Amino acid sequence: MVNSAPDAVDSATDTLSDHELMLAVRDGELDALGELFERHHGPLYGFLVKLTGQRTAAEDIAQTVFQRMLKYRHTYRDDGSFTAWMYHLGRRCAADHFRKNNAAPAATDPSQLQDHADDTPHAGDRAATRDDHALLHSALGRLDRDDREVLLLSRFQELSFAEIAAILECSVGAAKVRAHRALRELRDTYFQLQKEKLT
Amino acid sequence: MNCTHAQERFADVFDGRLAAADTAEVRAHLASCPDCQREYSALARTLAALDALPDARPGPALRKNFYAMLEEEKNSAASVAAATARHRHHARVSLWRWILAPAAAGVLALGGFLLGTRFATPAPAPAPGLDPATARIIADLQARVDSVGQLVGMSLLQQRSTSERLQTVLATLDKKNPDQKVISDLIGLLALDPSTNVRLSALDALYPHANQPIVRSGVLATLPREQNPLVLVAMIDFLVAARDREAAPELEKIVRNETIDQGVREAAKRGLAQL
Ligand SMILES: [Zn+2]
Repeated sequence: MVNSAPDAVDSATDTLSDHELMLAVRDGELDALGELFERHHGPLYGFLVKLTGQRTAAEDIAQTVFQRMLKYRHTYRDDGSFTAWMYHLGRRCAADHFRKNNAAPAATDPSQLQDHADDTPHAGDRAATRDDHALLHSALGRLDRDDREVLLLSRFQELSFAEIAAILECSVGAAKVRAHRALRELRDTYFQLQKEKLT
Repeated sequence: MNCTHAQERFADVFDGRLAAADTAEVRAHLASCPDCQREYSALARTLAALDALPDARPGPALRKNFYAMLEEEKNSAASVAAATARHRHHARVSLWRWILAPAAAGVLALGGFLLGTRFATPAPAPAPGLDPATARIIADLQARVDSVGQLVGMSLLQQRSTSERLQTVLATLDKKNPDQKVISDLIGLLALDPSTNVRLSALDALYPHANQPIVRSGVLATLPREQNPLVLVAMIDFLVAARDREAAPELEKIVRNETIDQGVREAAKRGLAQL
């Protein structure tokens, strides 16, 4: 992609890949990080809310992730994957956040997480869906953070297991085993909570 | 395929990115085994629920804070780049002039001696034969570096914004013969300032004074505590340019340490070859 005129830059960033944008940031074109922020802060924030069970913490951590992208931009590699790098930083920042605040993630308060709930068209369905989301949030909150982390990462279609393994600093095989074990854990807790609700 | 093998491969079936052929065996087993079917459908329902969980949306503060941060970084990066461009040439020229100076060998020997009193080790008594001024500066630096948790002692770090501290550093570049207080403040900033830009500028400002042993041992002493790869590489360049052979063991440590950024380790390797 060659930009012949300066005013072509804005429309040009739309078509650049994440990787190309991050390489531009690395080379000192800091504005390119704005486009990356617009593309990715939503999913990153969503991931962090599910990971931490806390909106405020998720917002702080997301902020720190983009701060570190700027600070460590020169460490971004030619053969890097932007998304994998972002979640790698997200995971580190979350760990730092909870170490600094000397607290494990607080138990999820599902009602707090539901204010942007789904857009299901039928009111009855919506209430039932909301209850179900709340149960699942509670079940997620009862997993170890490591299990929650690998499980959430494994459901992002844009991340390959090779990338997840790199993020978690383990082998591909180990990442798969951990994701599957975490899924079983979640299933047990989720079904248990459903049963408790019925009785 | 038995049940254990089939269940071990459920993750591949759920992954959805594998071709159907890759998981055909598992599916064949599922079709004929009610136990595995039950297990499979329970996990599949859980996953479907997880995938259906809506993403929370961030409030407006996240975007506002992000762009404020980006703006600040652009400003400070620009000011550092401008200042560096202006002064780096001059600094390097002075450095090379010093290296070629006849007194260099003697000063190098003194530098090696000073390194024996590395700040990281607990309060070594100033060695006899050290002139009192140098001994005082070492003691002062040692006190600062040892009490990173209590930065209040350092006036430069108090009540000043990043850009003001940056200006302070840049102002020292114009002084022909800065006194030892200025030098030790610069080393203190390099060791302790929270801003990457200030630390980098402090290092730049120290270039013309690399002939002073206190400067080289100061840079070397702060090397192990520096976390930022950019600053680390700049420090390595500094020590290599100053031909500080005392830096070799520290550079070797960096080369061997696999937890350190790859770029830094390569810089250390290159540096070692040049020392
Ligand atoms: Zn079976």
